[in-house]
Amino acid sequence: MKKKRKNLWIVSTITIVAILVLWWLVTDKLGIFTSNTLPSPIKIVRTFIKKLSDPNPDGATLFKHLLSSLKIVLSGYLLGVVIGVPLGIIMAWYEKADLMVRPVFDMIRTVPGIAWVPVMVVFFGIGFTSKAVVIFIGAVVANVINAYSGIKQTKQVHLWVGGTFGASNWQLLTRIALPSAFPMIINGLRISLGGAWTTIVAAELLASNKGIGYMIQQARGILRPDIIIVGMVVIGAVGTLLMLPIELAEKKFMKGGKW
Amino acid sequence: MRTKTPAQERRDKIVYGVLAVGIFVGFWYAVTKLTDFGQIFPDPITIIANIGDKFINPIGKATLTGHILVSLRRVMLAFTVAAASGIVIGVTMGWYPVVEAVFKPVIEFLRPIPPIAWIPISILWYGFTEMSKYFLIFLASFFVVAISVYSGVKSVDPMLIRAAKMLGAKDNQLFTSIIIPSTVPYIFSGLQVALGNSWASIVAAEMVQSNEGVGWIIITGQQSSNMIQIVTGIVCIAVVGMLLVMIMRGLENKLCAWNKQGR
Repeated sequence: MKKKRKNLWIVSTITIVAILVLWWLVTDKLGIFTSNTLPSPIKIVRTFIKKLSDPNPDGATLFKHLLSSLKIVLSGYLLGVVIGVPLGIIMAWYEKADLMVRPVFDMIRTVPGIAWVPVMVVFFGIGFTSKAVVIFIGAVVANVINAYSGIKQTKQVHLWVGGTFGASNWQLLTRIALPSAFPMIINGLRISLGGAWTTIVAAELLASNKGIGYMIQQARGILRPDIIIVGMVVIGAVGTLLMLPIELAEKKFMKGGKW
Repeated sequence: MRTKTPAQERRDKIVYGVLAVGIFVGFWYAVTKLTDFGQIFPDPITIIANIGDKFINPIGKATLTGHILVSLRRVMLAFTVAAASGIVIGVTMGWYPVVEAVFKPVIEFLRPIPPIAWIPISILWYGFTEMSKYFLIFLASFFVVAISVYSGVKSVDPMLIRAAKMLGAKDNQLFTSIIIPSTVPYIFSGLQVALGNSWASIVAAEMVQSNEGVGWIIITGQQSSNMIQIVTGIVCIAVVGMLLVMIMRGLENKLCAWNKQGR
């Protein structure tokens, strides 16, 4: 068994190396694709290193673009979490609130975040606010829905037992419902963060003057696929890194994924 | 705690749902009529009238129906191809360790890149052709379906497999009567997410570069500061998106009825 695992690692490594070599062959070596369509892997690494310190051709270094995007994402997202999670809990706990607010949320959630961009651009221009608001809307909706379904999934029996032992409504909520909802709430945090990161890229493609999405959009205009690919890889990597704190919190507070 | 019958509960839901949407629209109307907000944002009646109008009179070169159909055609063509190949790759990845070793690192590397980030390179490679859209939707669906199906095959109860093997099932029998049925729910959850992703991605792609489609409606609305057109587009995107989800869910309920009953 152990030997077999090791062999599979070799297969994986060979695949990756083969892809890289093939990529290099069709670009640098044989020139089937020119660097205006598909740059070689070596060129991409070079561009990445250069872009760390060079603000050309789009006016800012990679770090500055990244920082600008992150600032917008985190402000919109955190505000969305702070408002969305409690709102979801309230909606699920009080039936009247549920019946009234839920249909409106079901209506809003069907609109993809990016569709709000034109509205917000007309309201707030192409700066920080318009994009932060778009991110905020997306984050609120996802967090409300997840916190809501988390609370709704609380086992009725547990609540009955709590009630029998004389727990107050507040105790039922904080001691029973919230802990059962925790995995779903975390799930909401994760989904909405992924959504926020996607949305900022889209928003910056459409209307922006800095940020990582702006960088790849500019690079398209001047036929620099190497910068686009660097940008894409960075977007993927940062998206994964952003999830780390949430994964850690999940591991720390939830033993074995369950309570 | 609850003494309501299911029928009563359903009635309550509909009554409150209509009421809530009514209050929302009423509030919207009041705000646009009573405050300065009305100067930059149209009231709901204007929007509904405009939607009705645009089914007959074209925006740009097509009516509303035309734009919606263009976007749907783009999504459906690429989604179908991506779903089919995603299911095949996902199942083989889950079943054959060698295939897993080949594809997994590649997929894991490409998957974190949001489909929207592919828009610039898709335009650079395929220009303003339909192919650039198909390419994008394919990416938006393929990874989600493949990974979902793959984890489905991986989580088939090993007990069932061993039992079947003990009873003398051949590999292909094992496949058709155990692996596929237990994977169907995962296939559907993958398709569901993928379809939602695709719809959001086509809207983004059409906003960045196109001359027809629902995304085009809202972006040209922005360029001419025509808020009525923007909101019309948003309503269309929401309604079509909702219908897609409902159709998918209906299909799942039809085809996986056994799964629901079993649990």
